Amino acid sequence: MISICVKHLNKRYRAKDGDVAALADVDIDVAEGEFVTIVGPSGCGKSTLLYILGGFIGADGGIIEINGKAVTGPGVDRGVVFQEYALFPWLTVAQNIRYGLEMSGAPRQRCEETVERLVRTIGLQGFEHRFPRELSGGMKQRVAIARTLAYDPKILLLDEPFGALDAQTREVMQDELLRLWQATRKTVMMVTHDVNEAVYLSERVLVMSQRPGRIVQEFKVTIDRTCEREVTVLNKNFNQLRNEVWLAVRRQAGARSV
Amino acid sequence: MSFAPRTWLRSGAPSVSLRAAWHYLPIAIVLLAWQLVVEFDLVDRAFLPSFGETLSALWEMTRNGEIGFNLLVSIYRAFAGLAMGSIIGVAIGLAMATSRRADEFFGPLVATTYSLPKSSLVPLFILWFGIGDVTSIVSVLLACLLPVIVSTYHGVQSVPPVIVWSARAMGTPHHLILWRILLPSSLLSIFTGVRIALGFCFVLTISVEMIAAKTGIGKLIFLYGENGAYAYMFGGLLAIVIVAYAADRTLLAAMNHLLRWDDSIHAAHVGG
Repeated sequence: MISICVKHLNKRYRAKDGDVAALADVDIDVAEGEFVTIVGPSGCGKSTLLYILGGFIGADGGIIEINGKAVTGPGVDRGVVFQEYALFPWLTVAQNIRYGLEMSGAPRQRCEETVERLVRTIGLQGFEHRFPRELSGGMKQRVAIARTLAYDPKILLLDEPFGALDAQTREVMQDELLRLWQATRKTVMMVTHDVNEAVYLSERVLVMSQRPGRIVQEFKVTIDRTCEREVTVLNKNFNQLRNEVWLAVRRQAGARSV
Repeated sequence: MSFAPRTWLRSGAPSVSLRAAWHYLPIAIVLLAWQLVVEFDLVDRAFLPSFGETLSALWEMTRNGEIGFNLLVSIYRAFAGLAMGSIIGVAIGLAMATSRRADEFFGPLVATTYSLPKSSLVPLFILWFGIGDVTSIVSVLLACLLPVIVSTYHGVQSVPPVIVWSARAMGTPHHLILWRILLPSSLLSIFTGVRIALGFCFVLTISVEMIAAKTGIGKLIFLYGENGAYAYMFGGLLAIVIVAYAADRTLLAAMNHLLRWDDSIHAAHVGG
């Protein structure tokens, strides 16, 4: 079943000296339970695409459907994780995680149980009553993911979720996300500029051109995800595929100067 | 107004008592200068009482109840005006920041009246409301309104879009965005406006009382000034200065507590 369906999507930004095309004729289908990543040079409009899917900004034409229904605005069927975390700084860790549940009108008992379970999942026991400013970048990102999982959306939209983290924390978080996806089999659409991350995590990698963004190439990733990270990363197939994707992205980034 | 004193004050991490001493040093210098000017007869004694004389005048007025009563009257006027001005100011600021129509309606009014000295309207208020509480409170209200409107407006405007987006994505209905997201997000800004208004409220109360009241510290100061009893005049002045200072410290403490989650306020030992 198709979970995310995008056809002939166009988006322009109004600027002083005329409109700027951000996305041109984008077509994407994501099956239910699939993990798809979009990579592309910076400024190619990949975040814009995610914001359109999130329902935060409108498109200028085309079809955008989530589970067969046209997107008209934000909805709890899609959980969004932003690059800047976008946690509510005035709420504690526990309050941030339960926010979405509270909004859905879930009973108190269930809110508390869910928060407790998720705090344990992300390993932040003892930090429930801390404010986001007291957390490290990695901890903040864990909370951002936990609060999205709390209200159990069918689809996760991830906007460079690990972009602000240091290399070591990023790897840990990637493995956590992978485990989480394998356990829940949610539909995931991620945007990143990190080719390694894209190939390591997703089943399908889409390469976007520079602005106006189009999907120019598609790679199916068939690697054994039950292996440890070391085994995967040192694997010949993984490296070959990663190099191919890297070259494809590089071609797009290089096309800028033409 | 800065919430974050630079760190040069804290280099070498002096003890708390040393820092407190440093903090009150300027006040001590001014009081000392005052005493010296009087001691050396640099100004005619009839026009400038010494700090000691001022203190004893204040003590006398406190004992006979003159200060207590008038201070309560002034505090009532100042805080009633401040409270109403702040509530209305926050409401207008929020409306302007979230609705284009409200912005178009209030925008020109705010821009044109921003630099108008509100005390110039007092003669008009005397005609409308007579001598007494209402004239004082309305003048204070008006003076408090603008800083609160402007800071609330800018506070809401500078809420990052992703904060609102993530709230919407988590199912926050439109009518709750204001209350659950925009208001807490702009709390620091709003408080900054209220703190500026707190200063204005005492300035306005005292100056309006001097021309349009039968009671209050302003009236007291005015009467003693007219009669040349300058020690008592300064005593009244000192009383209101102490109250205003205590009010500002209390607001600051409330701010520090309510905004304990905020990075920018927490980075510094606010206000010393």
